[in-house]
Amino acid sequence: MLKRIYIDNFRGLVNFEMNFDSINLFLGGNGSGKSTVFEVLRKIQTFVSGDEKVEGIFKSADCTRWQTLQLQRFELEIAGNGGSYKYEFAIRHNQEKSHVEYERLWFNNQALLKSEEGEIKIFQDDYEEVVKTSLPSRLQLVGSLLYLFKLDSDSTKLDWFTKRMQRFIIVQIIPSLMLDGSEKEEIHLTSRMENFVSWYRYISQDQGKVAELINVLKDILDGFISFKFEQFSENYRTLKLRFSTDKDRTKIIDYRFSELSDGQKVVIALYTILYCTESEDYTLCIDEPESFLALPEIQPWLIQLYDFCIDGKIQALLISHHPVLINYLLASPIGYWFERQSNAAARVKLISNEETENSGLPISELIARGWLYDPE
Amino acid sequence: MTQNRVQIVILCEDLQQQVFAYHFLKKRGFNIYPKNLTIRTSPKGKGAGEQFVRNHYAAEVKEYRRKNYRSGMLVVLIDADNETVKVTLKELDNALIENSQELRKPDEKIAIFVPKRNIETWIHYLRTGEVVEEEGEKSKYPKFPKNEAICKVGVEQLANQCSQGSLDENVPPSLQAACEELQRLLPLLNNL
Repeated sequence: MLKRIYIDNFRGLVNFEMNFDSINLFLGGNGSGKSTVFEVLRKIQTFVSGDEKVEGIFKSADCTRWQTLQLQRFELEIAGNGGSYKYEFAIRHNQEKSHVEYERLWFNNQALLKSEEGEIKIFQDDYEEVVKTSLPSRLQLVGSLLYLFKLDSDSTKLDWFTKRMQRFIIVQIIPSLMLDGSEKEEIHLTSRMENFVSWYRYISQDQGKVAELINVLKDILDGFISFKFEQFSENYRTLKLRFSTDKDRTKIIDYRFSELSDGQKVVIALYTILYCTESEDYTLCIDEPESFLALPEIQPWLIQLYDFCIDGKIQALLISHHPVLINYLLASPIGYWFERQSNAAARVKLISNEETENSGLPISELIARGWLYDPE
Repeated sequence: MTQNRVQIVILCEDLQQQVFAYHFLKKRGFNIYPKNLTIRTSPKGKGAGEQFVRNHYAAEVKEYRRKNYRSGMLVVLIDADNETVKVTLKELDNALIENSQELRKPDEKIAIFVPKRNIETWIHYLRTGEVVEEEGEKSKYPKFPKNEAICKVGVEQLANQCSQGSLDENVPPSLQAACEELQRLLPLLNNL
């Protein structure tokens, strides 16, 4: 479970720190930094994966505009594998060139990786140093070393962390961008969920979870029977959904995924994310999950999500402006209020239950009126 | 970025009252722009509207008192219907008592406007000069569903007359009382 993030010098996030629980709701005005936190998480995930060089991920234009500092610093703390990981790195921008200034990983305060000032040290699980090397003075690191030293297994503490970083799903679902065809299985969902079908191909290898998902969707989508892949070439497949047209389920029509409404696509995406990742130590970061949903669809999904979260089966970070979601989830103190003045850093504070208890108005109404917090 | 804070809350029964109150406050010179005002209108329309206002009145007063610098003013509109203005105001007082709130004080920026028999009575008067307040005469004046803006000309005239103290002699007493309510409130308002 993600326990903490620290971000410095990334757009409106300056010396910014947040701690997390199993379910977390980000609230605040437009431009207050909520989605930026998700964006940084996605960048860290890409950085650790080794899929891109640092220049493709972290841009100097993303340094905080009202500062001149060219060093961006990031820290994560993740609980898991029987202990607590702390990961930190910094990116230095020098005109159009960017490099990794330092990168460090600890497990229970014992170093697993240290890369700083041209010296690289890798440690075994018993914390004995196994690699120590120095970089030539003119050589600068342009990617994460975690990727270079991973063994594609969970056998080491370092590998576990690298794999855990893959289990962040960070999305804002845009149904009109979701493709109904797929060339190959994909482990990562793209930020707008364009590759949902390719990801579903990957995740549906777990037949038990798919069966559970289908059962749930049968209750949610009237007449839904199952998913079906249609193969068009050696690799290319499209996703279809089978619906019965009568009570006896004798007449079945297959609909292409693209034939569904935006709302139906989002319903399927949300339940798929939930049921195909539960109990696998995933962190779901969903920006406005309620977008495109009809009102009666919002709370049933939330109830299920909340249940998985409190059972420790999933961790969720949500951004929302919707009163149904806000009023439901803020029955518990899991909300974070983001606030930012023009050309000033974002600030975040935990929303206490005191505000709602003392007011006769729903918390969403207090937020809508700008009354949740007093001016400072 | 920064969020504007609502300063005026209008609690009313229906769309016609909403249009009337919004336009009146605007014409009366209140600093109204979309982000400093919020309107709570009964979703159920006529009939259940009075109940809606009574039910939400105490919560709004409580919130006004809890952090009264947040809310510059609470404006309440509720039809008297078959009751008198006095009885309708008493019912709102009772709503406060039931919710453990003290009664409205003269120095609180809580304005209550009670059309007798209802808002359409006022609109009919402003359009025709005719006062029709009793139940039996109800059919004499029209309602304006989907054409609520028709009241605006009369409302502008009312705003002028109210501020100049030049209401006609035959004005419905409830409208006279509303003007007095507004005059009571004006000295309390500095920034609105």
